[in-house]
Amino acid sequence: MEFFRNPNFNFVGAMKLAFTMSASLVIVSIIAMLIHGGPRMGIDFTGGSVLQVKISPVPTVGDIRSSLEDQGYAGVQVTEFGSADEFLITFPTPAEVTEAVEMGDEQAITTGVASVSGEETLDAAQILLGDLRASLPGTEIELRREESVGPKIGGELRQAAMNSVVAALALIVLYISVRFVFRYGIAAIMALVHDVTLTLGVFSLLNFEISLQIIAAFLTIIGYSLNDTIVVFDRIRENMKLRRKESYAAVINRSINECLSRTILTSLTTFFVSATLYFFGGPVIHDFAFALCFGVIVGTYSSIFIASPILVWWNGRRVAGKKRVSLDM
Amino acid sequence: MNRSLQIKAGLTIVILLFSLYGLLPTFKALSVSKADREAAVENHDLAAEIAEIDANAIKRGLDLKGGMYLVLEVDQEGMNQSEAEDALMRVKEILYNRIDKFGVSEPEITTFGSSRIVVKLPGLQDPERAKNLLGQTARLEFRMVRPDAEIQPALEKMDQLFLAEATEAVEETVDEMAAEAGDPEVAAEVTEDVDAALEEAEAEADSATNPFGELDDPLATDDSLAGADEAFLLEHPFSGLLLAQPGVIGSTPLFVREENVARVQAMLDDPRVARKLRTSEFQLEMEPMDFGQGQQLRPVYLVETKPILTGDQLTDAISTANPERPGLWQVNFSLNSRGARTFAKVTGENVGRFLAISLDGRISSAPVIQGKIPSGSGSISGSFTNNEASDLALLLRAGALPTDVYIAEERTVGPSLGSDSIRMGVNAALYGSLMVIIFILIYYRMSGLVTVLALLSNIIILMAVLAQFDLVLTLPGIAGIILTVGMAVDANVLINERIREELRKDKTIRASVQSGYANATRTIVDANVTTLIAGAILLWFGTGPIKGFAVTLSIGILTSMFTALVMTRVLMEFLTRNQGQKKMSI
Repeated sequence: MEFFRNPNFNFVGAMKLAFTMSASLVIVSIIAMLIHGGPRMGIDFTGGSVLQVKISPVPTVGDIRSSLEDQGYAGVQVTEFGSADEFLITFPTPAEVTEAVEMGDEQAITTGVASVSGEETLDAAQILLGDLRASLPGTEIELRREESVGPKIGGELRQAAMNSVVAALALIVLYISVRFVFRYGIAAIMALVHDVTLTLGVFSLLNFEISLQIIAAFLTIIGYSLNDTIVVFDRIRENMKLRRKESYAAVINRSINECLSRTILTSLTTFFVSATLYFFGGPVIHDFAFALCFGVIVGTYSSIFIASPILVWWNGRRVAGKKRVSLDM
Repeated sequence: MNRSLQIKAGLTIVILLFSLYGLLPTFKALSVSKADREAAVENHDLAAEIAEIDANAIKRGLDLKGGMYLVLEVDQEGMNQSEAEDALMRVKEILYNRIDKFGVSEPEITTFGSSRIVVKLPGLQDPERAKNLLGQTARLEFRMVRPDAEIQPALEKMDQLFLAEATEAVEETVDEMAAEAGDPEVAAEVTEDVDAALEEAEAEADSATNPFGELDDPLATDDSLAGADEAFLLEHPFSGLLLAQPGVIGSTPLFVREENVARVQAMLDDPRVARKLRTSEFQLEMEPMDFGQGQQLRPVYLVETKPILTGDQLTDAISTANPERPGLWQVNFSLNSRGARTFAKVTGENVGRFLAISLDGRISSAPVIQGKIPSGSGSISGSFTNNEASDLALLLRAGALPTDVYIAEERTVGPSLGSDSIRMGVNAALYGSLMVIIFILIYYRMSGLVTVLALLSNIIILMAVLAQFDLVLTLPGIAGIILTVGMAVDANVLINERIREELRKDKTIRASVQSGYANATRTIVDANVTTLIAGAILLWFGTGPIKGFAVTLSIGILTSMFTALVMTRVLMEFLTRNQGQKKMSI
């Protein structure tokens, strides 16, 4: 079986269209993020708690929310999770702690989600669970999962996540610059920034949360999209040596076409497994799998239509009029 | 076959065999039935057997097993460096002692950085209770040990308490059996059987040696109380779990086997016990004593309910060299003025008796009172080594916790969610792999089969690496494996596409395979190294959930490079070994 036999699509010719489309999508993503005040950060980064509870007999989301609001809880989110009898209750670090942190109160910054040694235990999640039990008499509430992150750790995790994305990008540019040419590194990074921005945009539009898991998904998308890009770059480098008479654009277009079967095939299999994770992996990794599925699509698109054409565009600017530069081997 | 190919073939076979061997315990652990695991809660031999199998299998993370992950922050504000270090160690000591009481297997308590303690409690059944226990204020107490003569009556009371319960349980079972049988005659028969069994048990129990009638003959009593005596246990649900070993240590004659500690502690935690015993209570020692031949016994003390002193009256405790016995160490402690007055009175009245030091309901040691301590500064001496003495001093200081401790991060997964996650993760992995396999077989046919073999081997080797290096498999880790499957296909696709290209140039089959691999290798290495960079960064910066993902992804990239470049090459070159072959299934 074969998808394409000797394909010869004019990808480089579609450069302007692709750049325009990508630029508008990036702008839409940025606007979406601005409108929503950035992608919604999960408790991993903001501090707060998530409770996953199984309740029988099953109340409505509204029941849970109103019973909590009646007891003075503000900013509590209640959503169904996975099956109909399971709910996710998310709430931020109590306001007094957040305020104190903003005021620069050292004590509050070290304060976590609960005190172990103090006279009273200030465990917001446990108190909320107790209140919920009291307000829904006759129901059985099983705590399936609890995650609580204090404001200090939240800040640190945010910092670590940013560091890891930046460090990954920097090291990748370095590696590509050593193995290829610096320009290739920049082209690859532009494609990556494009991929991550679009994924962030979709997350903002759908109001999905950015958690530690999602950062892992982003780094995987980066790795995956890069994988695709490098395969094409590798072919470009090879063809530059073999086909010295062809124009720069023609060599690049030929290289993309020669890799096309492989690109599509790999993208399909990776998409298959990401999709099975999405459908069968369970609610806990749902968003993670969604990010992967989306990332595979965008990553495949960007390695065909963005990364390599950027080289053509750049080369055109650099040596306007000249046939080609033979530096890229 | 040429020489380098032979080496590669040998290497592949050796690695695969090693991997399968490394995975044997994991397969064994998977084959332990759920019924056996449930039965193990009661049957300790079975539990030990299962624990041994599990020990060599792939470790499951807290998110798959259920359990609790806590990061505790010790408030060190206004402390100098040595005070801060001391505070951290004291908090760790307290936590260690409390966690021991949950009966969790393999708890992990580690310091992280200069102010944090990470606690991992796998397989925790009741996270809410655990957090309540962890959250209590540390309770260091000095309590008088009750005289040995009071032990026997107290044991009898305990037995009565739990015997009533056990009989009820038996009767309930009989009723249930009868109800199930639905036949009055059968029911009557069953009841008779049980009655007979009970009577028999009673008769046997009466004939069994009364353990505390012969306190001066430790060996005989040891036999009678070995805990294996089912009949005795039936009649003495509490004391049947204990051993009498008088004379080993002066402070108590009573011991419990390490494997029975959780059961005994659960009985002692029963709220009815306090009402039954009133002025005294049983407490276990913190650590077991080694009796040789794998015998681990913990002393059990009968102490007064009312403490003589509490930790807040203790102002300091340090370990020093024992001035009278060179080479040995002792602990000097000092009390505040109120504590000093009480202590002077109690020590004066009770010379020769034992005083237990108890932290959160567990006894650290029970030294003998050698004389009145009037000044409020005393010393505890014994045959302490330097380490033992500083541990005890640490414990005494821990009782008066100098600072606040906060839970800075908590991740708890209930046991039922853990098994749901594993089921879904495994299903997703199966379906995903199956789709990829079918697709590849259709697309590449015979060469596709080689690819599929490589994919399966890749998973086997990856799992074996996890098992051998004691790495933990988490839910994001399963996602990493699934993703690896997707990406491992890539290397094989690159190779196969290259071979197809070469074939189109009308090269011979063997030449096409050779140059296909040669050309694809460079691309594969370049492409995988960049993904590996992302994986390594995740490993480096990532915490908790991310790390598990990074581990399987990084290992998966390495193993997939091996299977694609070495293993499939052996197979492909073997399949195309005939010079005259005209067609290739690719």
